[in-house]
Amino acid sequence: MLISMRWLGRHVDLTGIDPEQLALDLTLSTAEVEGVERFAPYLSDVVVGHVTERVKHPDADKLGICQVDVGTGEPLQIVCGAPNVAAGQRVAVATVGTVLPGDFKIKKSKIRGVPSVGMICSERELGLSDEHDGIWVLPGEPTVGAPVAEAIGIDDWVLEIDNKSLTHRPDLWGHRGIAREVAAILQRPLLPLETSMPDLGSEDPVSVRVESPACSRYIGLSIDGVGQGKTPDWMRALLLATDQRPIDLLVDLSNFVMGDLGQPNHIFDRDQLSSEGIVVREAREGETLVTLDEVQRNLQPSDLLICSGGEGVALAGIMGGENSKVLEGTARLLLEVACFEPVPVRRTSSRLGLRTDSSARFEKHLDPTLPLQAAGHFARLLRELQPNVSFPAQLVDVGDWSDPACEIPLNPDQVRRSLGADISDEVMTTLLTSIDFGVQPQDGGLMVRVPSNRATKDIGIEMDLVEEIGRLYRYGNIPEQHLVGALVPPPVDHRRELTESCRDLLAGGARFHETMSYSFQSDSLHQMLGLDGDSYVSVINPVAEGSARIRRTVLPSLLTLLEPNRRQREEVRLFEIGKGYRPEEGNDRGEPKEVHELGLVLCQSKIDNPSFEQGALARLMAVVKDLLGALQFPDLQFVPCEEAPVPWVHPVRRVELVVGASGKQAGTTIGFVAELDPGLAGPLGIDGELASDTAAACVSLDLLLEQEPSGTSFVPLPRYPGFKIDVAIVAPDEVPARDLALAIEKAGKGNARDLVVFDLFRGEQLGADRRSLAYHLVLQNDKKTLTDKDAQSFLRRLERGLGELGAELRS
Amino acid sequence: MDNQANLETAQARIAEAPDPAALAALERELLGKDGLLGQQLSAIPSLPPAERGPAGRAANELKTALTAGLQARAAELAQADLARDRAGVGFDATLPPPQVERGSLHPITHVTRKLVEVFTSMGYHILDGPEVELDWYNFEALNISADHPARDSQDTFYCDEKGSLVLRTHTSPVQVRAMERLTPPFRLVCPGKVFRQESTDATHEHTFHQMEGLVVGKDISVGHLVGTMKTLLRGIFGRDIDVRLRPGHFPFVEPGFELDARCVFCSDGCRVCKGTRWIELLPCGLVHPKVLQAAGIDPDEWSGFAFGLGLSRLVMLSHGIDDVRHLLGGDLRFLEQFSC
Ligand SMILES: [Zn+2]
Repeated sequence: MLISMRWLGRHVDLTGIDPEQLALDLTLSTAEVEGVERFAPYLSDVVVGHVTERVKHPDADKLGICQVDVGTGEPLQIVCGAPNVAAGQRVAVATVGTVLPGDFKIKKSKIRGVPSVGMICSERELGLSDEHDGIWVLPGEPTVGAPVAEAIGIDDWVLEIDNKSLTHRPDLWGHRGIAREVAAILQRPLLPLETSMPDLGSEDPVSVRVESPACSRYIGLSIDGVGQGKTPDWMRALLLATDQRPIDLLVDLSNFVMGDLGQPNHIFDRDQLSSEGIVVREAREGETLVTLDEVQRNLQPSDLLICSGGEGVALAGIMGGENSKVLEGTARLLLEVACFEPVPVRRTSSRLGLRTDSSARFEKHLDPTLPLQAAGHFARLLRELQPNVSFPAQLVDVGDWSDPACEIPLNPDQVRRSLGADISDEVMTTLLTSIDFGVQPQDGGLMVRVPSNRATKDIGIEMDLVEEIGRLYRYGNIPEQHLVGALVPPPVDHRRELTESCRDLLAGGARFHETMSYSFQSDSLHQMLGLDGDSYVSVINPVAEGSARIRRTVLPSLLTLLEPNRRQREEVRLFEIGKGYRPEEGNDRGEPKEVHELGLVLCQSKIDNPSFEQGALARLMAVVKDLLGALQFPDLQFVPCEEAPVPWVHPVRRVELVVGASGKQAGTTIGFVAELDPGLAGPLGIDGELASDTAAACVSLDLLLEQEPSGTSFVPLPRYPGFKIDVAIVAPDEVPARDLALAIEKAGKGNARDLVVFDLFRGEQLGADRRSLAYHLVLQNDKKTLTDKDAQSFLRRLERGLGELGAELRS
Repeated sequence: MDNQANLETAQARIAEAPDPAALAALERELLGKDGLLGQQLSAIPSLPPAERGPAGRAANELKTALTAGLQARAAELAQADLARDRAGVGFDATLPPPQVERGSLHPITHVTRKLVEVFTSMGYHILDGPEVELDWYNFEALNISADHPARDSQDTFYCDEKGSLVLRTHTSPVQVRAMERLTPPFRLVCPGKVFRQESTDATHEHTFHQMEGLVVGKDISVGHLVGTMKTLLRGIFGRDIDVRLRPGHFPFVEPGFELDARCVFCSDGCRVCKGTRWIELLPCGLVHPKVLQAAGIDPDEWSGFAFGLGLSRLVMLSHGIDDVRHLLGGDLRFLEQFSC
């Protein structure tokens, strides 16, 4: 909202007050001022000129040659085409060198052969209004040569207040409300404002019937004898300063009263109303209204309508109807000043996308006593400007409302405790009184009377008064204090420890990049991955069609990142620790089950004939193995999975992650590592020149947390040297590596340690469907030094064991 | 005489041996069975007894002389080797080293960890709460009435028509969940993801991260809030940073504030604070008595303060990130810029 300092000056003396300082004061005590700007700065660059002579241009009928005194001695000769320029006028002159709006710089020129130095300006040329039918003739006799703004008394500063910081303050939506705060801050009096109703005639008033609780008060004032008249310049300047275009006297006055007191109001042409008067009711299904902006609005029963003769004439509190607008020459008026309930106004205006200055105010729980003051203010201002107007009828004032002013007992000790500041009862009383609160000592404490303009919603409990005292006392005057209390270490948080360890291990040794994704996953992604049939928590108002679902699991989010990242990088290594939601496992409070997951993807450009350790799947398995080992789960096993853990993985190239398996105990599956189904490369966009080898892994952090880590117990260092040997085994493809490893273990009789596969090889010389696996291992015993002989017997036993599997040692 | 000549020839060949391998071959040739020394030694038994002694001595002298020559040459070659290594021929200090690939942690993780570290050192618990939240915790228990604008569907993602389940619009509901569970006094912070129904652009995002803080105790005052925030900033930035409170309205606190901190990024024409020298840092306030009550804590006995730190905003400010969409965009070119 824009606040004009000159306008504020009508309510509180601002002599000697710096705009920037005022802005800071308001920010610290009342509401955030976002900007301070000079009003129409161009008006300080142009000067008052006195037209001493105007003669016709010899070569152009429509141009005049003017002599203009700008107080510099010699008058300036200015050629001007405006029809209304005449000798004797005071005008706004832009002299040579002045820059006007639109970066228009005034230069010496010749117009049809006649030299011209400067320009006589129209209002539009000064950025004041759209008026450009003629030049701006300045009112009165301002000092020649002085800057126009100061000379005619419209120089001003404009404060822009953040509307969000006013949402709870209905009293601050007009200049008088802000002035009340300013007066309290500056400790200057708020100037009185006469708003009592002028004399009213005795005619029957327009009948008003309120049929909806959404209108709590409706005041109608009949006005007669309104004549033609221009809005006075001071009012036009104040409206302009607050970004309101002056239109005509009545509209300007209506806007001025709203800007002054914060109370919206509306003027009807009484001759356009039906003889039955006004009915305030809810709209009917299918009803329409063309609003003043010439848009047809489709209404619903939740919209409040001002009606006359059965049809709508205004959308209550938002905008008038085109059919009842006041036309030029209308002399008989009805002024509406009402109270409309905030919620219906907000709902209607946001549904129709029609936010107006009026609706913005009604959304804020306006003071129900304000309409009467506003009606009186309007009537008095109008009569000042047009002494011939009359108010022929009694006031209509209907509706079901009550004065919200209330009393709240205040314990001054509570104020001191809550603020942490030693503020005396007397200071509290002064501060509260300065904003029109009444304060009386009572029962050892204070009884505070909250005025109606603050009691509608904002102030209701003692802590609200603590805020009033604190902000006016200034929070900056409160001494800082330190919390005192027993320092106890926070309870051990296993989940946090686990997630943070995962992050460090993956970003560190594994060189993965952590990402965080949106919780939304698109329907099309789910269709692509075969996840469409699952149940999801969905929002009913998504930002985009088809993206209403909240994810159940993290990995699909990562899969969408493969293509864009592969365009930039040969290899993509990403992980995310995040939550998923499963509605079908929800609780009886309606909360879906929350799961915590770690998702990893490794996607590399496809290479020809990769060695066994170069493939994405093997590399990701290694990462997972290493991660779980570091997390004290060295017993992690990769188990072939019969059933697909999720629909989008490779039908064969996938393993389950099992921990806690020992002997007959089966262990727990905590996740999987798998290649993508090859059919998804195309849909995911990682085919063609982005052809990739992709593996993904999912680890349930919830399940992992339930497992008992094996811990780190110290293993004594070997006392006897071991020796390294390499063995190569040729085996049919159907013999799993696990069986070969078992054969080695068995042949080692507890002495074969640190088994590592270092090569996998296929070739014609091995025969079809056979492979060669090469291992490093160490033969070592805790009680003696092993010899060559032990190695020979190990190899013999191995030979035999392999024979049972159809495999053999390769020499 | 013959011996002397042979020795000289041999020494000359030793001196010319070009490398350790050639020297080793020469050593085998000279000192071996068929070499110079070997021939002399093998001739000894066939000499008359009187000549055997002198011949033996001569052979020994020959051996000593050859061995010394070989060792000297070996030392020379080793020196030459060292000298060549030290010459460092071909080294180019300007040649870039090979790239070491790293992993990275998300900037939200970095800032969360920094704050968690400071808060835990001040005795705060770290709590987590659900992103899909009951209306009760997100709004009702926080004194946000049914007709409050924040509940409009332009601001809140609703998960059902009844409006009983929402995507949490702030981390504040964790306050209530915590108060239900814990017995005062306590201090806690809860980092997490929050949601607002709005279209995204460079400065707006429907999903972002916050960290809620809550302190409940006896006679907690605005002074405590200010003191705590200054301590926090000292913990983060390692120096004293001035703060100021100004009025701000949030239904779940009373009084409510906006806390501004002195701009720590300030330079001429500072883009961060736009020359005001203050940065709007966080909304905060004393916990509203109704909120304490809703969570089963007696507001006559206990009081507290709460604050909400915008983690996404903090990340953007401290790294000068100009587009909020980078944070959840998953672009490696963005993520790689943050270390691990
Ligand atoms: Zn700055």
